Amino acid sequence: MSDVVSDGVVPARPRRVAPFIALAVALVLAALFVVLAGSSPAGDNQVQSFLIGRPAPRVVSTTLDDQPFDLSRRKGSWVVLNFFDPTCVPCVDEHPELITFDEQQSGIPDGAELYTIINRGSAESVQAFFDANGGEWPVVRDPDGGVSVDFGVAQVPETWIIDPNGVVRARYAGPITAERVAQDLQAFREGRA
Amino acid sequence: MPSPGWQRFKRGPGWILLGAVVVALMAIGLAQNSDVLSPEERIEAISKRLACPICDGESVFESRNNASESLRNEIRAQVDAGVASDDQIITFIEQRYGAQVLLVPRADGVDALVWILPVVALVCGVAGLAFAFRRWKRAGGDVPTDDDRALVAEARRAGLDDDPPTDRPTTADRSATTDAAESGEGDGDGS
Repeated sequence: MSDVVSDGVVPARPRRVAPFIALAVALVLAALFVVLAGSSPAGDNQVQSFLIGRPAPRVVSTTLDDQPFDLSRRKGSWVVLNFFDPTCVPCVDEHPELITFDEQQSGIPDGAELYTIINRGSAESVQAFFDANGGEWPVVRDPDGGVSVDFGVAQVPETWIIDPNGVVRARYAGPITAERVAQDLQAFREGRA
Repeated sequence: MPSPGWQRFKRGPGWILLGAVVVALMAIGLAQNSDVLSPEERIEAISKRLACPICDGESVFESRNNASESLRNEIRAQVDAGVASDDQIITFIEQRYGAQVLLVPRADGVDALVWILPVVALVCGVAGLAFAFRRWKRAGGDVPTDDDRALVAEARRAGLDDDPPTDRPTTADRSATTDAAESGEGDGDGS
Protein backbone atom coordinates (compact mmCIF):
# COMPACT_ATOMS: atom_id res chain seq x y z
CA MET A 1 0.00 0.00 0.00
CA SER A 2 2.86 2.30 0.82
CA ASP A 3 3.79 2.72 -2.85
CA VAL A 4 0.34 3.59 -4.20
CA VAL A 5 0.61 7.24 -3.29
CA SER A 6 4.18 8.07 -3.99
CA ASP A 7 4.62 11.76 -4.62
CA GLY A 8 3.14 13.42 -1.51
CA VAL A 9 -0.43 13.64 -2.79
CA VAL A 10 -2.63 14.40 0.22
CA PRO A 11 -5.49 11.90 0.30
CA ALA A 12 -8.90 13.52 -0.06
CA ARG A 13 -10.69 11.31 2.46
CA PRO A 14 -10.03 13.23 5.73
CA ARG A 15 -11.12 16.46 4.05
CA ARG A 16 -14.47 14.94 3.19
CA VAL A 17 -15.14 13.55 6.67
CA ALA A 18 -14.49 16.72 8.68
CA PRO A 19 -17.34 18.83 7.24
CA PHE A 20 -19.83 16.10 8.08
CA ILE A 21 -18.62 15.93 11.68
CA ALA A 22 -18.83 19.71 11.90
CA LEU A 23 -22.33 19.61 10.44
CA ALA A 24 -23.42 16.99 12.99
CA VAL A 25 -22.08 19.07 15.88
CA ALA A 26 -23.76 22.17 14.46
CA LEU A 27 -27.09 20.32 14.19
CA VAL A 28 -26.90 19.16 17.80
CA LEU A 29 -26.10 22.70 18.96
CA ALA A 30 -28.97 24.10 16.89
CA ALA A 31 -31.38 21.54 18.36
CA LEU A 32 -30.20 22.45 21.86
CA PHE A 33 -30.76 26.12 21.10
CA VAL A 34 -34.29 25.45 19.85
CA VAL A 35 -35.14 23.38 22.93
CA LEU A 36 -33.78 25.99 25.33
CA ALA A 37 -35.41 28.89 23.48
CA GLY A 38 -38.74 27.09 23.55
CA SER A 39 -38.74 26.49 27.31
CA SER A 40 -40.61 28.86 29.54
CA PRO A 41 -38.72 31.88 30.83
CA ALA A 42 -37.47 31.72 34.40
CA GLY A 43 -38.89 35.09 35.37
CA ASP A 44 -42.54 34.12 35.54
CA ASN A 45 -43.39 31.88 38.46
CA GLN A 46 -46.83 30.94 37.16
CA VAL A 47 -46.07 27.39 36.13
CA GLN A 48 -47.76 24.58 34.30
CA SER A 49 -49.42 21.67 35.94
CA PHE A 50 -51.26 18.62 34.78
CA LEU A 51 -54.05 19.70 37.14
CA ILE A 52 -54.80 23.06 35.53
CA GLY A 53 -58.28 22.84 34.00
CA ARG A 54 -59.05 19.71 36.00
CA PRO A 55 -60.95 19.24 39.25
CA ALA A 56 -58.82 19.95 42.28
CA PRO A 57 -57.60 16.92 44.24
CA ARG A 58 -59.49 15.92 47.34
CA VAL A 59 -58.39 17.83 50.43
CA VAL A 60 -60.03 16.55 53.60
CA SER A 61 -58.26 17.43 56.80
CA THR A 62 -58.50 19.60 59.88
CA THR A 63 -57.41 23.14 60.58
CA LEU A 64 -55.12 24.23 63.40
CA ASP A 65 -58.30 25.24 65.28
CA ASP A 66 -59.42 21.60 64.91
CA GLN A 67 -62.20 22.50 62.54
CA PRO A 68 -62.88 20.05 59.71
CA PHE A 69 -61.76 21.20 56.27
CA ASP A 70 -63.03 19.77 53.00
CA LEU A 71 -62.03 21.55 49.81
CA SER A 72 -65.01 20.16 47.89
CA ARG A 73 -67.33 22.00 50.31
CA ARG A 74 -65.76 25.32 49.35
CA LYS A 75 -67.38 25.15 45.91
CA GLY A 76 -69.17 28.36 45.05
CA SER A 77 -66.24 30.54 46.07
CA TRP A 78 -62.78 31.18 44.69
CA VAL A 79 -60.17 29.41 46.80
CA VAL A 80 -56.48 30.21 47.06
CA LEU A 81 -54.28 27.53 48.64
CA ASN A 82 -50.84 28.49 49.90
CA PHE A 83 -48.40 25.69 50.72
CA PHE A 84 -46.29 26.93 53.59
CA ASP A 85 -43.53 25.96 55.98
CA PRO A 86 -42.45 28.29 58.81
CA THR A 87 -38.80 27.19 58.42
CA CYS A 88 -38.64 28.20 54.75
CA VAL A 89 -37.20 31.67 54.18
CA PRO A 90 -39.09 32.51 50.93
CA CYS A 91 -42.34 31.51 52.69
CA VAL A 92 -41.57 33.88 55.55
CA ASP A 93 -40.66 36.64 53.07
CA GLU A 94 -43.90 36.05 51.19
CA HIS A 95 -46.09 36.28 54.27
CA PRO A 96 -46.74 40.06 54.21
CA GLU A 97 -47.97 39.72 50.62
CA LEU A 98 -50.44 37.04 51.71
CA ILE A 99 -51.70 39.32 54.48
CA THR A 100 -52.22 42.12 51.94
CA PHE A 101 -53.95 39.70 49.59
CA ASP A 102 -56.25 38.34 52.28
CA GLU A 103 -57.26 41.82 53.47
CA GLN A 104 -57.90 42.96 49.93
CA GLN A 105 -59.97 39.90 48.99
CA SER A 106 -62.16 40.08 52.10
CA GLY A 107 -62.95 43.68 51.15
CA ILE A 108 -64.38 42.89 47.69
CA PRO A 109 -67.52 40.97 46.65
CA ASP A 110 -66.78 37.40 45.59
CA GLY A 111 -63.34 37.68 47.19
CA ALA A 112 -61.21 34.55 47.32
CA GLU A 113 -60.86 32.44 50.46
CA LEU A 114 -57.24 31.94 51.44
CA TYR A 115 -56.03 28.75 53.13
CA THR A 116 -52.53 27.86 54.21
CA ILE A 117 -51.53 24.21 53.97
CA ILE A 118 -48.74 23.01 56.22
CA ASN A 119 -46.87 19.78 55.90
CA ARG A 120 -43.82 20.08 58.08
CA GLY A 121 -43.57 22.03 61.31
CA SER A 122 -45.51 21.37 64.46
CA ALA A 123 -48.86 23.01 65.03
CA GLU A 124 -47.34 25.09 67.83
CA SER A 125 -44.56 26.56 65.72
CA VAL A 126 -46.95 27.44 62.89
CA GLN A 127 -49.43 28.95 65.32
CA ALA A 128 -46.63 30.91 66.92
CA PHE A 129 -45.54 32.19 63.49
CA PHE A 130 -49.08 33.36 62.65
CA ASP A 131 -49.49 34.92 66.09
CA ALA A 132 -46.25 36.83 65.65
CA ASN A 133 -46.58 37.81 62.00
CA GLY A 134 -50.32 38.13 61.51
CA GLY A 135 -52.70 36.25 59.25
CA GLU A 136 -56.30 35.49 60.14
CA TRP A 137 -57.07 32.84 57.57
CA PRO A 138 -57.39 29.11 58.39
CA VAL A 139 -54.33 26.85 58.42
CA VAL A 140 -54.95 23.30 57.19
CA ARG A 141 -52.88 20.32 58.30
CA ASP A 142 -51.32 17.87 55.84
CA PRO A 143 -49.58 15.47 58.23
CA ASP A 144 -48.55 12.73 55.78
CA GLY A 145 -47.90 15.08 52.85
CA GLY A 146 -50.77 13.60 50.85
CA VAL A 147 -52.12 16.99 49.81
CA SER A 148 -48.68 18.12 48.64
CA VAL A 149 -48.26 14.97 46.58
CA ASP A 150 -51.76 15.24 45.08
CA PHE A 151 -50.94 18.76 43.93
CA GLY A 152 -47.35 17.88 43.01
CA VAL A 153 -45.84 20.42 45.38
CA ALA A 154 -42.19 19.61 45.90
CA GLN A 155 -40.92 22.88 47.26
CA VAL A 156 -42.79 25.51 49.27
CA PRO A 157 -44.06 28.14 48.86
CA GLU A 158 -46.59 27.34 46.19
CA THR A 159 -49.90 29.04 45.57
CA TRP A 160 -52.88 27.64 43.71
CA ILE A 161 -56.11 29.21 42.51
CA ILE A 162 -59.24 27.04 42.43
CA ASP A 163 -62.43 28.36 40.89
CA PRO A 164 -66.00 28.12 42.28
CA ASN A 165 -66.54 24.91 40.30
CA GLY A 166 -63.63 23.29 42.09
CA VAL A 167 -61.42 23.43 38.98
CA VAL A 168 -57.74 24.27 39.27
CA ARG A 169 -56.99 27.50 37.41
CA ALA A 170 -53.44 28.59 38.25
CA ARG A 171 -50.29 27.48 40.01
CA TYR A 172 -47.44 29.68 41.22
CA ALA A 173 -44.14 28.16 42.30
CA GLY A 174 -42.15 30.39 44.62
CA PRO A 175 -43.17 33.58 46.38
CA ILE A 176 -46.11 35.52 44.94
CA THR A 177 -47.15 39.13 45.23
CA ALA A 178 -50.65 40.13 46.29
CA GLU A 179 -51.00 42.30 43.23
CA ARG A 180 -50.16 39.55 40.75
CA VAL A 181 -52.51 36.95 42.20
CA ALA A 182 -55.33 39.50 42.63
CA GLN A 183 -54.94 40.58 39.00
CA ASP A 184 -54.99 37.00 37.72
CA LEU A 185 -58.00 36.23 39.90
CA GLN A 186 -59.87 39.23 38.51
CA ALA A 187 -59.03 38.12 34.98
CA PHE A 188 -60.42 34.64 35.75
CA ARG A 189 -63.59 36.12 37.26
CA GLU A 190 -64.21 38.22 34.19
CA GLY A 191 -63.50 35.27 31.96
CA ARG A 192 -60.48 36.96 30.38
CA ALA A 193 -58.06 34.19 31.06
CA MET B 1 -0.69 -22.94 19.80
CA PRO B 2 -4.38 -22.84 18.76
CA SER B 3 -5.26 -25.09 15.88
CA PRO B 4 -6.77 -23.65 12.68
CA GLY B 5 -10.00 -25.45 13.56
CA TRP B 6 -10.17 -23.57 16.81
CA GLN B 7 -9.55 -20.30 14.97
CA ARG B 8 -12.42 -21.02 12.61
CA PHE B 9 -14.68 -21.93 15.53
CA LYS B 10 -13.83 -18.68 17.23
CA ARG B 11 -14.86 -16.70 14.16
CA GLY B 12 -18.18 -18.35 13.28
CA PRO B 13 -20.02 -20.76 15.58
CA GLY B 14 -18.28 -19.38 18.67
CA TRP B 15 -20.01 -16.05 18.36
CA ILE B 16 -23.37 -17.70 17.77
CA LEU B 17 -22.88 -19.87 20.86
CA LEU B 18 -21.94 -16.80 22.90
CA GLY B 19 -25.07 -15.00 21.68
CA ALA B 20 -27.24 -17.97 22.61
CA VAL B 21 -25.75 -18.09 26.12
CA VAL B 22 -26.37 -14.35 26.62
CA VAL B 23 -29.97 -14.61 25.45
CA ALA B 24 -30.56 -17.61 27.72
CA LEU B 25 -29.12 -15.82 30.76
CA MET B 26 -31.22 -12.72 30.07
CA ALA B 27 -34.34 -14.87 29.74
CA ILE B 28 -33.58 -16.52 33.09
CA GLY B 29 -33.02 -13.12 34.69
CA LEU B 30 -36.30 -11.75 33.38
CA ALA B 31 -38.19 -14.83 34.49
CA GLN B 32 -36.84 -14.47 38.03
CA ASN B 33 -37.79 -10.80 38.04
CA SER B 34 -41.44 -11.46 37.40
CA ASP B 35 -41.98 -13.06 40.80
CA VAL B 36 -44.82 -11.66 42.88
CA LEU B 37 -43.45 -8.92 45.12
CA SER B 38 -44.48 -8.14 48.66
CA PRO B 39 -45.90 -4.64 49.32
CA GLU B 40 -42.59 -3.60 50.91
CA GLU B 41 -40.67 -4.75 47.83
CA ARG B 42 -43.09 -2.91 45.57
CA ILE B 43 -42.72 0.32 47.56
CA GLU B 44 -38.95 -0.04 47.40
CA ALA B 45 -38.98 -0.78 43.68
CA ILE B 46 -41.24 2.18 42.86
CA SER B 47 -39.41 4.65 45.07
CA LYS B 48 -36.13 3.58 43.48
CA ARG B 49 -37.51 4.52 40.06
CA LEU B 50 -38.34 8.06 41.19
CA ALA B 51 -35.96 10.95 41.71
CA CYS B 52 -36.25 13.15 44.76
CA PRO B 53 -38.05 16.21 43.35
CA ILE B 54 -35.94 18.84 45.11
CA CYS B 55 -32.45 17.38 45.21
CA ASP B 56 -30.03 16.07 42.61
CA GLY B 57 -28.96 12.50 42.09
CA GLU B 58 -30.96 10.85 44.85
CA SER B 59 -33.87 8.50 44.51
CA VAL B 60 -37.01 8.87 46.59
CA PHE B 61 -35.99 5.61 48.23
CA GLU B 62 -32.78 6.97 49.72
CA SER B 63 -33.64 10.64 50.10
CA ARG B 64 -34.57 11.77 53.61
CA ASN B 65 -36.22 15.11 52.90
CA ASN B 66 -39.78 16.12 53.34
CA ALA B 67 -40.89 15.94 49.72
CA SER B 68 -39.51 12.42 49.29
CA GLU B 69 -41.08 11.32 52.54
CA SER B 70 -44.45 12.57 51.32
CA LEU B 71 -43.92 10.67 48.09
CA ARG B 72 -43.06 7.49 49.99
CA ASN B 73 -46.25 7.91 52.03
CA GLU B 74 -48.23 8.30 48.84
CA ILE B 75 -46.63 5.24 47.25
CA ARG B 76 -47.33 3.23 50.39
CA ALA B 77 -50.96 4.37 50.43
CA GLN B 78 -51.46 3.44 46.79
CA VAL B 79 -49.67 0.09 47.13
CA ASP B 80 -51.71 -0.76 50.22
CA ALA B 81 -54.89 0.19 48.38
CA GLY B 82 -53.86 -2.45 45.86
CA VAL B 83 -55.62 -0.86 42.90
CA ALA B 84 -52.88 0.75 40.82
CA SER B 85 -49.99 -1.05 39.17
CA ASP B 86 -46.41 0.15 39.65
CA ASP B 87 -46.53 1.98 36.34
CA GLN B 88 -49.84 3.61 37.18
CA ILE B 89 -48.47 4.90 40.49
CA ILE B 90 -45.41 6.26 38.73
CA THR B 91 -47.57 7.90 36.07
CA PHE B 92 -49.72 9.47 38.81
CA ILE B 93 -46.64 11.04 40.39
CA GLU B 94 -45.08 11.99 37.05
CA GLN B 95 -48.24 13.85 36.02
CA ARG B 96 -48.05 15.97 39.15
CA TYR B 97 -44.31 16.49 39.52
CA GLY B 98 -43.21 16.43 35.90
CA ALA B 99 -41.00 14.06 33.95
CA GLN B 100 -37.90 15.11 35.91
CA VAL B 101 -38.95 12.81 38.76
CA LEU B 102 -38.42 9.77 36.56
CA LEU B 103 -34.99 8.28 37.22
CA VAL B 104 -35.42 6.13 34.14
CA PRO B 105 -36.66 8.49 31.43
CA ARG B 106 -39.43 7.45 29.11
CA ALA B 107 -38.57 6.69 25.50
CA ASP B 108 -40.87 9.11 23.72
CA GLY B 109 -40.74 12.71 22.56
CA VAL B 110 -37.59 14.71 23.24
CA ASP B 111 -36.86 12.41 26.18
CA ALA B 112 -36.17 9.63 23.69
CA LEU B 113 -32.91 11.45 22.89
CA VAL B 114 -31.37 10.18 26.13
CA TRP B 115 -31.82 6.65 24.83
CA ILE B 116 -30.95 7.31 21.20
CA LEU B 117 -27.90 9.55 21.58
CA PRO B 118 -25.71 7.03 23.45
CA VAL B 119 -26.48 4.40 20.82
CA VAL B 120 -25.69 6.87 18.04
CA ALA B 121 -22.46 7.83 19.81
CA LEU B 122 -21.53 4.17 20.22
CA VAL B 123 -22.23 3.35 16.57
CA CYS B 124 -20.27 6.43 15.41
CA GLY B 125 -17.39 5.54 17.71
CA VAL B 126 -17.21 1.91 16.59
CA ALA B 127 -17.52 2.92 12.95
CA GLY B 128 -14.81 5.55 13.38
CA LEU B 129 -12.50 3.05 15.07
CA ALA B 130 -13.10 0.45 12.38
CA PHE B 131 -12.38 3.07 9.76
CA ALA B 132 -9.20 4.14 11.50
CA PHE B 133 -8.00 0.57 12.02
CA ARG B 134 -8.54 -0.17 8.37
CA ARG B 135 -6.50 2.87 7.38
CA TRP B 136 -3.69 2.01 9.76
CA LYS B 137 -3.62 -1.52 8.46
CA ARG B 138 -3.44 -0.27 4.88
CA ALA B 139 -0.74 2.25 5.74
CA GLY B 140 1.41 -0.63 7.00
CA GLY B 141 2.34 -1.43 10.55
CA ASP B 142 5.11 0.11 12.59
CA VAL B 143 7.25 -3.00 12.33
CA PRO B 144 10.81 -1.80 11.61
CA THR B 145 12.30 -3.01 8.37
CA ASP B 146 15.93 -4.01 7.93
CA ASP B 147 16.56 -0.59 6.39
CA ASP B 148 15.22 1.05 9.57
CA ARG B 149 17.47 -1.05 11.78
CA ALA B 150 20.48 -0.21 9.67
CA LEU B 151 19.58 3.47 9.89
CA VAL B 152 19.27 3.37 13.69
CA ALA B 153 22.51 1.48 14.05
CA GLU B 154 24.29 4.06 11.91
CA ALA B 155 22.77 6.93 13.86
CA ARG B 156 23.91 5.38 17.14
CA ARG B 157 27.40 4.91 15.87
CA ALA B 158 27.47 8.55 14.74
CA GLY B 159 26.02 9.65 18.09
CA LEU B 160 28.85 7.94 19.96
CA ASP B 161 31.41 9.81 17.95
CA ASP B 162 30.11 13.35 17.90
CA ASP B 163 27.32 15.26 19.64
CA PRO B 164 24.86 16.65 19.04
CA PRO B 165 23.66 13.82 16.84
CA THR B 166 22.78 15.29 13.51
CA ASP B 167 20.43 12.52 12.51
CA ARG B 168 17.89 13.19 15.25
CA PRO B 169 14.80 14.60 13.58
CA THR B 170 13.82 18.15 14.53
CA THR B 171 10.22 19.23 15.02
CA ALA B 172 9.98 20.31 11.43
CA ASP B 173 11.34 16.96 10.29
CA ARG B 174 8.85 15.17 12.45
CA SER B 175 5.82 17.00 11.05
CA ALA B 176 7.10 16.36 7.56
CA THR B 177 7.32 12.70 8.49
CA THR B 178 3.74 12.72 9.74
CA ASP B 179 2.56 14.20 6.47
CA ALA B 180 4.45 11.57 4.59
CA ALA B 181 2.97 8.81 6.76
CA GLU B 182 -0.51 10.08 6.12
CA SER B 183 0.01 10.14 2.41
CA GLY B 184 0.90 6.50 2.67
CA GLU B 185 4.56 6.58 1.79
CA GLY B 186 6.25 6.93 5.16
CA ASP B 187 7.75 3.85 6.69
CA GLY B 188 9.96 5.07 9.48
CA ASP B 189 11.56 8.38 10.30
CA GLY B 190 14.50 8.19 8.03
CA SER B 191 12.79 8.38 4.66
